Amino acid sequence: MISPIKIWRRQKEIRKILGKKGKILVWTKIFTPGTDFKKYAPYPVVMVELENKEKIYGQLVDYEKEDLKTGREVVSVLRKVREPSIDGVIAYGVKFKPL
Amino acid sequence: MINLIGYYTTQFGELWDKSLFDLVEEAINGVLKQTQLSNKQIDAVFFGNMLAGVLGNNLHSTSRISEILKVNIPIFRTEAACASGGAAFNLAKSYLEANSNKNVLVIGAEKMTDYSPEETITGLSAAASGEEQEAGLTFPGLYAMMANFYLEKYHYTEENLAYVSVKNHFHGSLNEKAHFRKKISVEDVLKSAYVAHPLKVLDSSPISDGAAAVILTNNRDLINKQKKSVSVLASEVVTDTISLKERKNLDEILATKNASNIAFEKAKIRRRDISVAEVHDCFSIAEILAMEDLGFWKKGEAGEKIKELSTKFGNGGSLIVNTSGGLKAAGHPVGATGIKQIGEVFLQLTGQAENRQVKNVKYGLAHNVGGSGGTAVVTILAI
Repeated sequence: MISPIKIWRRQKEIRKILGKKGKILVWTKIFTPGTDFKKYAPYPVVMVELENKEKIYGQLVDYEKEDLKTGREVVSVLRKVREPSIDGVIAYGVKFKPL
Repeated sequence: MINLIGYYTTQFGELWDKSLFDLVEEAINGVLKQTQLSNKQIDAVFFGNMLAGVLGNNLHSTSRISEILKVNIPIFRTEAACASGGAAFNLAKSYLEANSNKNVLVIGAEKMTDYSPEETITGLSAAASGEEQEAGLTFPGLYAMMANFYLEKYHYTEENLAYVSVKNHFHGSLNEKAHFRKKISVEDVLKSAYVAHPLKVLDSSPISDGAAAVILTNNRDLINKQKKSVSVLASEVVTDTISLKERKNLDEILATKNASNIAFEKAKIRRRDISVAEVHDCFSIAEILAMEDLGFWKKGEAGEKIKELSTKFGNGGSLIVNTSGGLKAAGHPVGATGIKQIGEVFLQLTGQAENRQVKNVKYGLAHNVGGSGGTAVVTILAI
């Protein structure tokens, strides 16, 4: 279950990985999501290797079809990541957009 | 010496008239009847289950099993996502290694169809890392990433993957306990809707209900009395990172590779001695990777080899894979899967596999995976 405290704890980590550039290592496009993501489907998810070699997952946003490929350069951005919890707190997290 | 002396599985499928514990009870009664053991002859129980706590608000299932079995013995539940059944079997074997003259009941069960697909998918996602969950990565999504990586690296297409499902649906058509009994074609697979690109509905195992049970013993007198009995040569559990992104190679499941190497070393047999294998085909790509990581085929080769269908029953191959129909066609009630796989190998080794009986089987292997490869269990049985 998602709680406001978990969201708060996660926020401290997210700010460290914003605005980072990297390349798509592998991708997929999800057509059958879990409950919190139903509204966004279908959506692409990418595994990105940042310039410091750290790997991060995120959905790809503001993209064209041809951006969904291995090696595409992307940058991490802050976006709402799932439906608000029962307490109404909106969960923000990392997504990527093509450079 | 530890022997497996009996196996029972319920029907796998959408069993709306049955609860989790109805299924558990049927599996217990079925395996006791088959081995002609009474409840009082069972010394311990190991129960593999993943989702009862997450979906059904049912924990302390061990006590519920005590109530069903009407005994007051040690009962333990194991959870290792989709490898919960294989892990329960492994612990049961360890229990027997530590205690002489005991009989242990191992049950795997799952109830998944009481909920909407989204709710069940969310429940299954509990076995992925927090970051994977936050990105909206489902299990089909994680295996789809592995599939995309594999297809790109070795220059295969979605058609190569489709042959896994065609073969396993054919096997499912021969298994009356299977969720799906319908044969399908490569075209059917390719025309089915995407679940997570490049994996489609017919690349994916279904959401199923079901329970399976086996009895293990190290009681010599009992082993001698039982008509149907096989030896457990090895059962190995290996774990790895929960996050796919933390793995060095995306085209292999390292836990499978390591568990397989250890299991073959302990069993003191070679890969080519295995005539039947139940491998963890939660998605078509998973069987492709399993065939390579278990050491049956070389890395990168399975995409081509699967098209020959040498592992399909009736084609005269030396290794037949997933005669039960695999997770794809037999169904995938997650906690039950690992036990059903071992049970299917038992049926093959003891000549009870009826219209899908492979000839001259001496050794068989079962391969059960949890999550995207965070746990792997490899079991080798011999007649």
